[in-house]
Amino acid sequence: MAGAAGPQLQLHGERTSGQDVRQQNATAVLAVANILKTSLGPVGLDKMMVDDIGDVTITNDGATILKLLEVEHPAAKILVELAELQDQEVGDGTTSVVIVAAELLKRANELVRAKIHPTSIIGGYRLAMREACKYLQERLAIPTSALGAETLMAAAKTAMSSKIVGADSDFFGRLVVDAVTAVRSEDEFTGRVRYPVSAINILKAHGKSARDSRMLDGYALNLGRAAQGMPKSVKKVRIACLDMNLQKARMLFGVQVLVTDPKELELIRQREVDITRERIQKIIDAGANVILTTKGIDDTALKYFVEAGAIAARRVPKDDLRRVAKATGASIVMTLADMEGNETFDPANLGSAEEVVEESVADNDMLMIRGPKNTRAVTVLLRGANDYLLDEMDRSLHDAFCIVKRVLESGEVVPGGGAVEGALSVYLENFATTLGSREQMAIAEFADALLIIPKTLAVNAAKDATELVARLRAFHYTAQSKEGKEELARSGLDLVGGEIRDNIAAGVVEPALSKLKILQFATEAAITILRIDDLIRLEPEPQEGEE
Amino acid sequence: MAAAVTTRKGETYKESAKKKDVRLMNIEAAKAVADAIRTSLGPRGMDKMVAQADGEVIITNDGATILNKMRVEQPAAKMLVDLAKSQDVVAGDGTTSVTVLCGALLRKSLELLEKGVHPTVISDAFGRAADKAVEILTDSAIPVSIEDREALIRAANTSLSSKIISQNSSLISPMAVDCLLRILDPQRPDLLDLKDVKVVSKPGATIDDSEMVDGLVLDLKAAKAAAGPTRMENAKIALIQFQVSPPKTDIENNVIVSDYAQMDRILKEERNYILQMVKKIRASGANVLLIQKSILRDAVTDLSLHYLAKAKIMVVKDVEREDIEFISKTLHCLPIAHVDHMRAEKLGHAALVEEADLGKGGKVVKITGIEDKGRTATVLLRGSNKLALAEADRSLHDALCVVRCLVQKRYLIAGGGSPEMELSYQLSQWAKTLVGMESFCVRAFAEALEIIPYTLAENAGLNPIEIVTELRNHHASGRRHHGINVRKGATTDMLEENVVQPLLVTTSALSLATEAARLILKIDDVVPTR
Repeated sequence: MAGAAGPQLQLHGERTSGQDVRQQNATAVLAVANILKTSLGPVGLDKMMVDDIGDVTITNDGATILKLLEVEHPAAKILVELAELQDQEVGDGTTSVVIVAAELLKRANELVRAKIHPTSIIGGYRLAMREACKYLQERLAIPTSALGAETLMAAAKTAMSSKIVGADSDFFGRLVVDAVTAVRSEDEFTGRVRYPVSAINILKAHGKSARDSRMLDGYALNLGRAAQGMPKSVKKVRIACLDMNLQKARMLFGVQVLVTDPKELELIRQREVDITRERIQKIIDAGANVILTTKGIDDTALKYFVEAGAIAARRVPKDDLRRVAKATGASIVMTLADMEGNETFDPANLGSAEEVVEESVADNDMLMIRGPKNTRAVTVLLRGANDYLLDEMDRSLHDAFCIVKRVLESGEVVPGGGAVEGALSVYLENFATTLGSREQMAIAEFADALLIIPKTLAVNAAKDATELVARLRAFHYTAQSKEGKEELARSGLDLVGGEIRDNIAAGVVEPALSKLKILQFATEAAITILRIDDLIRLEPEPQEGEE
Repeated sequence: MAAAVTTRKGETYKESAKKKDVRLMNIEAAKAVADAIRTSLGPRGMDKMVAQADGEVIITNDGATILNKMRVEQPAAKMLVDLAKSQDVVAGDGTTSVTVLCGALLRKSLELLEKGVHPTVISDAFGRAADKAVEILTDSAIPVSIEDREALIRAANTSLSSKIISQNSSLISPMAVDCLLRILDPQRPDLLDLKDVKVVSKPGATIDDSEMVDGLVLDLKAAKAAAGPTRMENAKIALIQFQVSPPKTDIENNVIVSDYAQMDRILKEERNYILQMVKKIRASGANVLLIQKSILRDAVTDLSLHYLAKAKIMVVKDVEREDIEFISKTLHCLPIAHVDHMRAEKLGHAALVEEADLGKGGKVVKITGIEDKGRTATVLLRGSNKLALAEADRSLHDALCVVRCLVQKRYLIAGGGSPEMELSYQLSQWAKTLVGMESFCVRAFAEALEIIPYTLAENAGLNPIEIVTELRNHHASGRRHHGINVRKGATTDMLEENVVQPLLVTTSALSLATEAARLILKIDDVVPTR
């Protein structure tokens, strides 16, 4: 290879640069966004994805779709990461962020072709993003305190409107709001109020309809008691959370048992069992009547629990155990060793709850822990016809949890249904005309690009997008230019009636933070891709030993 | 050296076809490399995306990184890659400039070769021109004191302006300067080791949330399997290199049990062994343990964690071997290799050790309020995605290097293409005082320097010819600090715009680029060997 002379850069791979790479990136990104487009909004449709082993996922969630797509193009991968980021930071709006980013990039690419330097476009986009965020925070955001208690419900319902649970949004909205408010916790050092979504336990069970889903009173473990002889319910529960084996004690690796007398053998076996029995006895003596362990319990050891009238459960998932410990005030015990080198069980490690009951839900046994000492964990039981439905419900509820959490934490909402995009587009267009610099074009394009959201919403709802968006813009123009008409800034699309309406009054709201992050992340991603003018794809190293 | 004035023989040179081909090939290859990264130069430079063989993608604007990842094959092109690397080592910044400059020098020398100038003459003349250039630069440089924090920040700002994090430079630049000032030993300012600045990158949040931590950040979690403490005030920190776990017997050795009573003994012995260790640790007064990672044995077992938790000792395990030195320097503690060596005077003291939750990015252990803190600095870098974070890390490194350059050679010069323009003007004046081929070559050298402002203007979307000629005019009329103001799209005085860079970056770029160009020029044959 080194022999050939020429001005070409010799690389172990492929290189594309300049307009080619920009075009390529824009095409790849648009291809990804087009897949998601039809999923946007309350009337968006779902995607069914079948992977190479035949597993099926049906979803409407942008981040989930992209994660399963296995995108290869590096620029498109940035978009996938973008959706993940939005998912992590906000939990919702993943579809929107991808669509906006792709639209920004498409328009930027057209500007470059019209001989505007990418750096000017980048500058313009940044400026537009900053202005948009400022305007959003100052003029569009409405504090929840001004709107009353129903805002949370409205936000949850809006988040779920596009999902499969949207039909029962009243029902699920209530469920979501109750669950999130129940897990409120305060940081002990900083005093900050948090709503840890991870503390909400979601259980899925086949059968009945989605409407039979409910929030369970207490914490549910998706497993039964270890032996039939144990009582079905225990009251005034003292709960021990163990992270240790209650099986026959085995000697460590490197320890050999050598016996000369067969009688000795029996004694050693007996001792092995006894070590465990003594341990169990210590736990029971400390007052425990419910014992949960993440590891195993030997069948021979179960009888000690049965004799003591205690409930024991083995192979409890560690996450569950941790939450149970938190809820009941127990501490997880890994070993019984004490500071003297002996084995004891400290009663202080026990947690308490009012009742532990085994209930059967849809053929499954579940251990319900009722009335734990410090309620901080909640269980939501989802019912549904099949796995796909249940999984999608789980994802939808997760989105809604996140949205409610954001509204609670940030305390500001904006009208949904394309209202923010409409308002920002009108505002930025006016802003662009006040600038005499080369960024003007880019800002105008940014303003136009935002309209992709209301447009797509309208198209997905099979309405006349052109007419609706034009009317939306007219409403916002009036709101921004005429005194006394500021109320019109809340106008958004009504996708069922094909009308423009006051979306705050209609209860279509989103957390301001979500929109803010969509703008910031989409712009950042578009800029990252736009800054690239060279793509070098390296070929894999040839394997050693090949000729 | 060809005596240009006295004898004119031997200056013209008729090459054989093959030699010409080899030289041409080398120059073309090197030029191709320079052209490839030219668009990354300057505040409005573009980024490169490199998709590596293993599928990993890097987006960067840093010349050295791009070249490093590109895996060029041609030997002469590889020289340019090495050139960028050496600039990275010497100055840490200006890696793109040095490559572009070398490309421009080679382009000019190609013109000279076509005119029949002997490569050695070109090479020598370039050498002299570079020396002269460094001299001119040094004369016009502005001395700076390291107490002048503002000036240092301005230089760091210039370096960051081309990076994706340029909008955060108001945060990153002071951070870089403060880091350097913290690790600077006033007695020995030359011994500045950037290893004393530890950068912990954690995804999540935005770059604005990055901070310089007054203390130490470890990218580790506190071990809390046994519900041990994750926050410790008035911490006494022990950095230990032994394991708190039962010793393993050798493979061939076995402990033989022949009696059931012995079984209890073994279990009890294990407990006692660990307990004794924990008691010794507690006796020394330590309440935070940092345990070095071990491949031979578990650093801690469930049992020892349980005991340590009961003794209210916070445990951080899996400390990397190479971090030990940094930690002991920062905390002012001594690493402890055996439990018997646990003594109070070997411990480090800090007001607070806590596990900080960084949201989705995971957790880190923060140690703040360290007594007798060593000359080290820690930066906690945050970024919205992995690509941006990696680029922020590289950019911070560049900014640190720029400040280090200033500490080592305390002179500043103007940026924005103004030094190159000034040199170009001064050298062409100097060329007029020379006679013969040398004058010709120095002139070419001077013209080659204009590549920097030319490229800067081009990348900024300005008209390069207009800008460069405008600059020529300014410099000819003695406005020696005029450069390209990318923000305004015009030529202005760079010092007034606060666009400054360390002298060392430019001088090292000049001499390195010239040397590389001379080296490539002098090659007239490539002999493949097996």
